[in-house]
This record gives sequence, C-alpha cells and structure tokens, in this order.
Amino acid sequence: MSNNAAKHLFIWGSLLCFVILIVLTVDTMGKLDSRAPEITAEVDAGKKVWHKYDCIGCHTILGNGSYFAPDMTKATVRKPKGYLKKFIMNPRAIRPNAAMPVLGLSEKEANDLIAFLDWMSKVDTNNWPPPPILAQAAAGKAASAGQVLFQQHDCAACHQIKGIGGVAGPDLTNAGSKQPDPDWHIAHLKNPESLVPDSAMPAFNELSDQELRDLAEYLVTLK
Amino acid sequence: MKYQSQKIALNFYTAAVVLFLVQVLVGIIAALQFMWPDFFVLNFNTIRTLHINALVVWLLMGMMGATYYVVPEESETELWSLPLAQLQFWATVLAVTLVVVGYIVMGIFPQANMEIFGTLLLNEGREYIEAPRWADILIVVSVLLFLFNCFMTIMKTKKFTAVQGVLLGGLTFLALMYLPGMFYTKSMVKDQYWWWWVVHLWVEGSWELIAAALLAFMLHKLLGTDVKVLAKWMYIEVGLVMFTGILGLGHHYYWIGTPAYWLWVGGIFSSLEPIPLLLMVWDAFRTTRETRGVVSNRIGLYLTVSHAIFNFVGAGLWGVIHTLPQVNKWTHGTQLTTAHGHLAFYGAYVLLIVAMIYVTVPSIRGAKEFNQSKGYQSFWWMTISMVFIVVTITAAGMVQTYLERLFGLDYVSVKANYNLWFWIFRAIFGVGFLVGVLILVVDVLTLGKKPAASGS
Repeated sequence: MSNNAAKHLFIWGSLLCFVILIVLTVDTMGKLDSRAPEITAEVDAGKKVWHKYDCIGCHTILGNGSYFAPDMTKATVRKPKGYLKKFIMNPRAIRPNAAMPVLGLSEKEANDLIAFLDWMSKVDTNNWPPPPILAQAAAGKAASAGQVLFQQHDCAACHQIKGIGGVAGPDLTNAGSKQPDPDWHIAHLKNPESLVPDSAMPAFNELSDQELRDLAEYLVTLK
Repeated sequence: MKYQSQKIALNFYTAAVVLFLVQVLVGIIAALQFMWPDFFVLNFNTIRTLHINALVVWLLMGMMGATYYVVPEESETELWSLPLAQLQFWATVLAVTLVVVGYIVMGIFPQANMEIFGTLLLNEGREYIEAPRWADILIVVSVLLFLFNCFMTIMKTKKFTAVQGVLLGGLTFLALMYLPGMFYTKSMVKDQYWWWWVVHLWVEGSWELIAAALLAFMLHKLLGTDVKVLAKWMYIEVGLVMFTGILGLGHHYYWIGTPAYWLWVGGIFSSLEPIPLLLMVWDAFRTTRETRGVVSNRIGLYLTVSHAIFNFVGAGLWGVIHTLPQVNKWTHGTQLTTAHGHLAFYGAYVLLIVAMIYVTVPSIRGAKEFNQSKGYQSFWWMTISMVFIVVTITAAGMVQTYLERLFGLDYVSVKANYNLWFWIFRAIFGVGFLVGVLILVVDVLTLGKKPAASGS
C-alpha cells in the first residue's frame, strides 16, 4: 500500500465512520424520550441538585461515575423513598458509620433529588443492572410463610441476615434474641417511628394482619 | 534543538510534571479515604475531581508542549509567535489555578456552587469535565490560540509533514470534541450520551491520533528511520484507531437508556479496538530491530517502546476483557473499570508524555550526553507500582462482580469487608508510584543541565 492510499483510507474511512455515528445518534435521539418517563420540573430541579453537589464524585449513575459509593440508577427501586430522604439529609443519623458526609441539602433539594432518582429508576436500561442470579437461585427455598414475605418485600435490600443483605437498616441476624416478642415486631412493622424514634424505615400498612403475624413469627426465629 | 522557540515546550513540560505530582498526591489521599472517609479536610468527591482533572490537564499540557517542539522541527522554522505561546501558557496556568481554587472552595462549602446564568459557578458535577462553563470557554480559547499559532507556523514554510498532519488533526478533533460537553440537557440519558462523545472520542479517538503521531516522531528522532515508512504505518494505525474507535463508542451505550442496537454496534467495533494498538507495538519493535548503529538516547527509546506496550496492555487488553455486552452486563461500573482506567491512562498517555519529555528535553537543553539512570529508576518505580495497583483493583473488581452483582451482597458490605485488603495494598503501591514520580520531577527539572558522568 502506498503512503497516499494509506492516508486516504484513514481520512475517508474516519469520515465515513463519523457519518454513521451521526446517523445512529439522530436515530437514538428520536427514540430516547419513549424509553423514559416525562421529565417534570421537579425531576429537572433534582438533576441540577445531583450536579450541584457533585454526587458523581462518589457515586455512579447508569454505571458511570466514581466507584466509591453505590450506584444510583435504580435507587428508588432498591430503597424506600422515605429512607433515602432521611439518609441524604443526614446520613450518619441513620447509619453512624456511613461514609457519606452531611452536604447541607435543603428539604426541597432532597425532594427534588428523589424525584430525579425516581425518574432515573424508570428509564429503560436494557435490563441493567441484572438481578443477581446466584441470589435468585438460592431464593425459593423459603421454609415458612414469613420468610416468603421477607423475600417478596425485599427486606434484604436494607437488612442483613448472616452477612447477606443491605446495610441501610439494622442487622437482623439476631432479631429474635433482641426482640423475642412477635407483637413488638407487628407494631414496629405497622409504624416503625412509634417504637424507634426517627426511624427511616417505611410503614408496611399494606400487609394483612395474618401476613404481619407470619412475618413477625419468622423474625423471632432469627437467633 | 534547532529553533529557539522550541524552548517553550519546557514550560509546558514543567507544569505537566508538577501537576502529575499533585495528581498522585491526591490519588493517595483518595486511596486512604476508601478506608477512612474522613481522613482529609476535603471529601472524596473533591479529591477525586482533583485527581482526574489534574490528570487530564497535565496530559493536555504535555501534548501542547510536545506539539510546540514538533511543529518548528517539522516545518523547519521558528514558531509563528513565541509571545503568543507564552501568553497561552500563562493564561492556561491561571485558568487551571482558578478552577482548582473553585473545587477546593466547593469542597469546603458545598453551597458555594451556586447556579449563575443557568450554569454552576464552581463545578459542573460531570465526571472529567467538572470545570465550570466559564472555564470551558477559557480552555477553548486557549486551545484555539495554540492551534492558530501552530497552523501559522506551518504556513510560514508550507512544510506540512505527515506527522504534523495527524498530530494537528488529532488536536483539532480534540478541540471539536470538547464542544458536546458544553450544553445542559434535562435528561440524564442525553447528558451521558453527549458526555461520552467528549470522554470516549478523546481517549479512544483524538488522543490516540496524537499518540500515533508522536510515536512516529520519536521513532524517527531516536532511530533515524525513514519517515516515509513510519508515515505509512502511522496512517494505517490511525485509520484503524478511527475505524474501531468511533463506533466503538457504542460500548458506553449498552445500559444508559439507549436503544438495544448499540449492544451490537459497541460489541463488534470495540472488540476490534486493540488491533491498532497491537500494530503500534509491532511498529515500535520492528523499527528498533531494523536500526543500525548506536542509539544515544537509550532511555528515550526505552520509554517509547514501553508506551507502545502498555498502551496495548492497558487500553487494549484490559479494555477488551469487559467490552462484550454479555460480560459488561455484570462488570459495568465495578472496580474492573477503575483498573482498566488506571493502566490505560498510564500506558497510553502518561508514558507517552514522559517518553516525549526524555526524547526532547536533552535536545532542548543542548545536551548530547546526559545521565539516564534516574529515568530508568523512575520508570521502574512507577511501572511496577502501577502494575500492582492494577492487579489489586482488578482483583477487587472480580470480588465485587461475584459478590455484589452475581450473589446480591450489598455494595457497602463488599467494599468495607471483602475488599478491605485490596484498598490497603492499593494505597501502599500508590506510595511506590509517588516515589517514581518524585524521581521523575527532579530528573525533568535537572535533565541535561550537568554534563554526564563518564561511562553513563
């Protein structure tokens, strides 16, 4: 190949690839709005809060950013919004050893940010992040009705049992030793703040009396 | 050195290595914050912003310095305007200082990052391009002045060589690709779509053009190889870089809310991205092997070949292992990406600029012989440390992928419990890297000033 041929191949080949990229970009831009919910003023304000506090300096979103703190793409699916709001405003009041500092968000900023994260959670990301396959394989072996409810309501998103699960809420490995009374657990599930001041856990009012009883019976077996 | 105005490269090189030192110092603070988040007065996000911005800016300054050296030599004339180059240098230093002060102020008082005229005053909160809009404009002006000066220099003698063409083509492409990062979009999906244009088309597009051009320049200068042969291979390399890299952009569009056809586009083209990098390694070895006679600047050649090798290993191999969507689905956003980022930037661009410094500084200072031992010392301290940093973070990424992504353990417990030892080792190797950079900075400041000791 002569130098000139190599040069022309480089220049025209690059231009051709760039033209293809532009065509794909135009097509993609036309499709993006239908792959995500409408952007309200609150969502937009929340995105600005995300930028203002340089959240991406610690977190990833859509898997991109910094790898110091959890990914925020499906944050409102993984964690209750009430918990997120309390945590964002004062992380260490919720979890004393949290790495996140108090950034000084106002209540409005926290609400907007959660609206933005909620919008983010509903974007069609080609099924990313995928559900953990090994955890799924291990599920379905629930021994009791209470354990089934524990899995259905994704309690492990916030609570750990024997090392598996989230760290947002207290570890439940010994929940039965700490609170052996099922009625305490029932009252707590109905209204956490009535028993634990400033609790960030949401109330599970949608559970029937029987379901509450089953879940509480399961929790007191954890010793 | 043939032309007095080439000396301006020294200013850029000095600023570059000083910023490199800053980058590594804050990098060690960031590494320690993985274990103790409150270790330092500034939070992790500010420290990381400084770490990655210092990287980008010092590499850009290194590229500018290198170009100010290359253009007069290739065009066989003095720079069109040395005062303009000096002005551009000091304006860049001033702008960078202001931006850094802004980051620190925001780190201490987050509320100071106010919205003014629709943009954030101190930090845009977008990775790598955190610099606020006013700074973006200053950066664009600085790069335009730089490009203008280079083009006017070429126009003086109308000697437009292949190396210059690709080098300035790459720099122009670089300037243009900064623009997609300069507007606000309400949708985070569109935000990241355009953001990747900047980041990907820089590091896997325009910067690789610059690397290929500087590689050809260095091989010619060190070994006296026929320019025509070097130019042909350079064109083939950059042609393949663009053919695989432009549409390889698709590997960033798998999971950000973009249509599923990007899985095909990104998967196919990005899998081919290592090919031109492998060709560059072959090019460096072939040219060296065919050379007759003694190479006086051995450290320069050593670094040039090392750059080619680590460009392929870091950017190529460490990238391709997680570029297929079937793999990336599980690894996206884990520490594997950090590992790839570190080795790719080190191999492709840190070693490129360091090689360029060792190839050109002795000539600028008029030293025919110089003491090369510190160059080797710094190279080995940096390279061994970086390899261990990368091995450490790769292992952390594999543990994270398995436990968090496959098994469903919480991010925080994996980071705090299972990966703790990797963070400790990473910080220790970071100190080793710092030793290498300190030796480098001292050597760059003194290189060729004293006559070489006999026998060296």
